Amino acid sequence: MLKADNTLGIIFFPAFDWAISPTHPEREERLLYTQDQLREEGLFDIEGIGEYKPEVAATEDIERVHFTFPETGAVITRSHLVSAGGAIRAARLIMEGERKKSFALVRPPGHHAMKVVHGSRGFCNINIEAIMLEWIREHYGPKRIAVIDTDCHHGDGTQDIYWHDPDTLFISLHQDGRTLYPGTGFPQDLGGPKALGRTLNVPLPPNTSDEGFLMALEHIVMPVLEDFKPDLIINSAGQDNHFTDPITNMNFSAQGYATLNKTLNPDIAVLEGGYSIQGALPYVNLGICLAMAGVDYSHVREPDYTPERWRQDKRTTAYIEQLCDTLPELYFNPPPFDGSEKSRQGIISGEWFIRHKDIYYDTDGISEAQIEMVYQCPKCRGLMKYETRSTNNPLCLGIEVPLGACNACRDLGYKLLEEAQIKGQYRYIQFINRRDKDYLRFGF
Amino acid sequence: MLLGIDVGGTHTDAVALDTSGLGVKITASCKVSTNHDDLLSSITEALGIILKDIDQALIKQLNLSTTLSTNAIVQGKTEDVGLLVSAGPGIDPYSYQPCRDYHILEGSIDHRGNEIKALPMANVDQAIASCRENGVRVFAAVGKFSTRNPRHETQIRRAALQCKDENGRDAVDFVSMGHEQGGALNFPRRVGTAYFNCAVWRLYNGFASAVRRSLDDMGMSHVAVNMLKADGGTMPLEASRKIPVQSIFSGPAASVMGIIALCDVVHDSVILDIGGTTTDIAVFADGAPLVEREGITIGSHPTLVQALKVKSIGIGGDSAISVIGEEVRVGPNRLGPSVCLGGERLTLTDALNYTGACKLGDVEASRQSLIEFAEAHSMTPDKLAQTAVDYAATAIHRATYELVDAINSKPVYTIHELLENKRIVPRKVYIMGGPAEAMRQNLFDQFRLSTDVPPNYAVANAIGAALTRTTWELELFADTERHVMFIPSLSHRENIPTSYTEKDGEEDAINNLAAHLDQLGVFLRPEDAQITSSSSFNMIKGYNMVGRNIRVKCQVRPGVVRTMNS
Repeated sequence: MLKADNTLGIIFFPAFDWAISPTHPEREERLLYTQDQLREEGLFDIEGIGEYKPEVAATEDIERVHFTFPETGAVITRSHLVSAGGAIRAARLIMEGERKKSFALVRPPGHHAMKVVHGSRGFCNINIEAIMLEWIREHYGPKRIAVIDTDCHHGDGTQDIYWHDPDTLFISLHQDGRTLYPGTGFPQDLGGPKALGRTLNVPLPPNTSDEGFLMALEHIVMPVLEDFKPDLIINSAGQDNHFTDPITNMNFSAQGYATLNKTLNPDIAVLEGGYSIQGALPYVNLGICLAMAGVDYSHVREPDYTPERWRQDKRTTAYIEQLCDTLPELYFNPPPFDGSEKSRQGIISGEWFIRHKDIYYDTDGISEAQIEMVYQCPKCRGLMKYETRSTNNPLCLGIEVPLGACNACRDLGYKLLEEAQIKGQYRYIQFINRRDKDYLRFGF
Repeated sequence: MLLGIDVGGTHTDAVALDTSGLGVKITASCKVSTNHDDLLSSITEALGIILKDIDQALIKQLNLSTTLSTNAIVQGKTEDVGLLVSAGPGIDPYSYQPCRDYHILEGSIDHRGNEIKALPMANVDQAIASCRENGVRVFAAVGKFSTRNPRHETQIRRAALQCKDENGRDAVDFVSMGHEQGGALNFPRRVGTAYFNCAVWRLYNGFASAVRRSLDDMGMSHVAVNMLKADGGTMPLEASRKIPVQSIFSGPAASVMGIIALCDVVHDSVILDIGGTTTDIAVFADGAPLVEREGITIGSHPTLVQALKVKSIGIGGDSAISVIGEEVRVGPNRLGPSVCLGGERLTLTDALNYTGACKLGDVEASRQSLIEFAEAHSMTPDKLAQTAVDYAATAIHRATYELVDAINSKPVYTIHELLENKRIVPRKVYIMGGPAEAMRQNLFDQFRLSTDVPPNYAVANAIGAALTRTTWELELFADTERHVMFIPSLSHRENIPTSYTEKDGEEDAINNLAAHLDQLGVFLRPEDAQITSSSSFNMIKGYNMVGRNIRVKCQVRPGVVRTMNS
């Protein structure tokens, strides 16, 4: 009998009764063949590997992270509560010490969901990793956490949520935004003025293969992780870098994914995208599970895999080598924050950081215009304020007193809330006070 | 007239039941010692006793539960098997090698049932030849995803059956194929199941023939013989010859089925069988016993053999009482019989004798021994006895709720099931076994649920065996893109049109189940067959639907032909 070196809990929830639409990539069938493969391999019979049921996330778990307009119930379905609950279960297994590692094999995904939610973008409504992270912090206190996003698409939602958080390191490896949705995620995006370098983007050229991914991992991600010294490492494990994926252009393999997870050694992995449901997911998921559990994965490979055919060319290798040379420097010595009128990363006006964002929700066809403001507090991360309107909602307001906020920022938060209620023209207002766990909504 | 015989580890129990009137009447019953070297003699001895005053012409059926295969495996008295495996990519197949003659062949079939790599027939022949050099005469052929497409298994089987020895006689006696062991997806379990099936095949068939012969000799050629399975059902003797592995671990199932016959279980309930060494705990949902989600594990090899969910803990009437520091414990060791029955170590039964809950054997000896033991550990005898009994009841109660929690936390795969899932909440406790009556009050104090000790519980296992009906389970898999419908356990494959739906699948599953049982001589009432799960997935290529992927599971659920009171 096989025995796992690391005990691994797998929260397997294929949501066999939920789809965005009948022929949408995010449909019932998506994890069917993965289930078949994992069962046929006898994965859950390996000593140390266990299967778990997801929890159902509560509205408060979501409203701890997101500003949802008009209200949480209107922007999610029950499936989102379950996939977020699956991620929470994965975290609980680790935090309570029941398992050494965990993998939330759940759908729908979440890494395109941003701080403010008006609907669904990139198949994502709520950010299940962020909900998991903040659940951990709410129940186990402040933690330094690194999120490594290995989905082929830029994790723009997670980046947006943690833009100003110096305690969360977000690194996204993705296909270059000039060639793929959502068209963002470039090296100059490094985080807000108080969290410079805590966001790191690694845009890889199309046709990058195992060699390129593992090179970027070794020369960019690992040295940065070593310096950041996180309490927890999370892999936002999208599987659409695979050479068979229908909506991307990369050449990653199941062996590559497994090796990536062995090297990265995440505490928790959460499934994100990946829509080659027959040719990739069954093998990639098996490889990730075995690698996390510390079981030999050398015999896992796709039926039609010939490494020679998917090898990257020399130009690609040279380009990635260049990235490896320059990107770590952006974490270790980020250029000072500009903040002038010319800056595209937001401006500093008086005591406030301000940036304007136009966000398009491709899945739901919603357009949002948003002003994000952060009080440049000398003592803490600073009060955050979001004014947003969209084709779905009139002007709404979100105010957040972040974890570790100082008294002044807390008082300012309540003062702004009061003013907004008295004279503001906001249709809906949501107030998050992480410091004192006070969560309020107005305007039903 | 129905006969039931349960060949157990210590005793062989037999009953003859009269089902001609209303309800069931026990016409005769007996208990004889089991002779492990000659199980058949124990069976004929028990038969001889219960049939003394019965007209053999009235006997319709004999249901038999035996430890034959179990013992053979435990004692290693099995035959060498040639195990040929077509694994393809995945976990290294050598990590679950069960025997010496284990050959990995370079074939591969994917999760849809597509052949990715053909089986290299030259290597198959080499592997078979190598096994034969080691004197192997039985073979198992197992392929990964063979329940989707059994091609490689049938190719190996054909190659093996063609082998002749130097005299031109068949060199291979039996070939077991993985997909015949059940439709579930689990390659390592399929390997283990097919292996054990072959390993006990010759022994089991010899036994089956001997049973049949001795019934014929006793003038009972007309009696149908069924073998008990661990899932709380039976299989006809002739059908069992090809799947002998299914007869292992049928003992606990006989007891559980006995409870169903003796009591009309309708609610979520707990069954406690308190024996000498262990207490077996089973859980019923809505009156039906629960089957283990995966199969049982033999040695360190998980298999596909279905079994009732039964949890054993090391607390029984003969469990020794020990004191460590301030703490009084019962079990998990059994160190000989109770003092009241001539043993030397104080046991739970002795404590029950002391408190007056029961009067077994030499009650005074129990009292004396307990008083001495208490003195030696500076406790009052009353406190020692009470603490010991409480300890046992608490441990049983705790283990029961751990089992219920485990059942309630089993994974589900749809949002509907997750949010609306039925949870098991026990409403009633049935207790059987030696100390049942004596422990009743203490267990009631723990469970605070209605507790019942059925009459005739001493031979409940044999009654259960006698009244258990035939069960069968099958899984159907249809792929309308590939135009194939396949029922692995029946090796039934047919072509289907693009328009085939989930409903067609359900009908085909039930019809094939009924037809198969009919062939075995078992009449299936339509209401006894049920669809246990059924799903249909639209398969999409690009943005178009190219077919449906349909999976249906149906079964005759475990039950008794009738209960004692109906």
